[in-house]
Amino acid sequence: MNVFSGHISDIQVNKSLSMVSVRISERVELKTILVETPETASYLSVGNIVNVLFKETEVIISKEEYPLISVQNKIKATIEEVKKGLLLSKLTLKTEIGAVASLIATEVLDEMALTENQEVIVMVKINEIMISR
Amino acid sequence: MIEAYVHKKLHTANGEMLLDIQLRIEKGQFVTLYGSSGAGKTSTLRILAGLLSADKGKIVLNGNTWLDTDNKIDITPQKRRIGYVFQDYALFPNMTVRKNLEYALEKGQDKNIIKELVDIVELEDLQDRNPETLSGGQKQRVALARALVRTPEVLLLDEPLSALDQKMRSKLQDYILKLHKQYNLTTILVSHDVGEIVKMSDKIYCLEDGIISREGNPITIFTNDRLSGKFQFAGEVIAIVQEEVIYIVTVLVGNNVVKVIAQESEIENLAIGDKVIVASKAFNPVLVKVEE
Repeated sequence: MNVFSGHISDIQVNKSLSMVSVRISERVELKTILVETPETASYLSVGNIVNVLFKETEVIISKEEYPLISVQNKIKATIEEVKKGLLLSKLTLKTEIGAVASLIATEVLDEMALTENQEVIVMVKINEIMISR
Repeated sequence: MIEAYVHKKLHTANGEMLLDIQLRIEKGQFVTLYGSSGAGKTSTLRILAGLLSADKGKIVLNGNTWLDTDNKIDITPQKRRIGYVFQDYALFPNMTVRKNLEYALEKGQDKNIIKELVDIVELEDLQDRNPETLSGGQKQRVALARALVRTPEVLLLDEPLSALDQKMRSKLQDYILKLHKQYNLTTILVSHDVGEIVKMSDKIYCLEDGIISREGNPITIFTNDRLSGKFQFAGEVIAIVQEEVIYIVTVLVGNNVVKVIAQESEIENLAIGDKVIVASKAFNPVLVKVEE
């Protein structure tokens, strides 16, 4: 699991859903959609320190810096390590917020010719990020 | 069973606070008091032990009244059949481990209890050492054994493990659970460590500014409250298998077996039999209607 600490910078609420922005570093802010509101979850308050959690399997890799794709969270990264399995491969990516792990299909790894020291974009959909306090 | 009601005005760093606590703990239960510093956890333990007086209150253990301010009953700490372990061990530095334990014996008490406790917490090889030559974990094992020499019915633990590293903590937790079961103790622990609380306690009381804000099963209290995932279940790890670059962890949730993909860093502190929370977001699971 990828875990990063940050503070809540914005909350947009509509009925029982909230879009929560968490500022992790100067340039990186991650957004997540929750079935919670500040009324149902006491930790949802702007300025609060929280952890954001997302699984390695949900981390998408792009070689283009501005891909036209419906994923909102994007972080610049450099591939630090590639561990190749038969079906799955694990990438360790260096980013401004620390190391991010990504698990992708080995076929895709080969197709995209992903190798160590390459610059890529790490992406995570808003519905894949959890918050814990 | 412990039934307690205590009421006391406390002077804290943040000014005056009214401690107003009601506890109902079954015999043999392991209970944790959880809350931020200054919430009244240690004061509650001290009042139960008779080390701090309550302004008003009643404490009854299995029908024996320890405290009843209305009827001016307040029996001494020595007569309350309580074992107390502090964070800072509080051992006599100039006595050996064995002497520290023997000092706790009551007049005329059978010495066999010491051998029994030394066996359980594995102090055989350390018996002739002085406390300052022991590690933190070893000292706390001595303090635990000493608290149980008089075979108390209730064990009070005031953050006993907070000065220890994670590995030592986990070992000490196992010793505490072993003693708790072996002597059929009713144990009250003060702790901040969520993993520790989930592992050890049957029940948790959350204290906030001198009152109990929530009470119940620790997993329920922590899961619903701390993690935004709406798809959460408590379970037990039954298998961990490495495959390619990942691990597959099998978890028994109620009567169902589920499998979760995990990374090496996540399974480092995970062993078969551990209690875990399986969590996902409400956005991920799919529903398939069962055709009847």
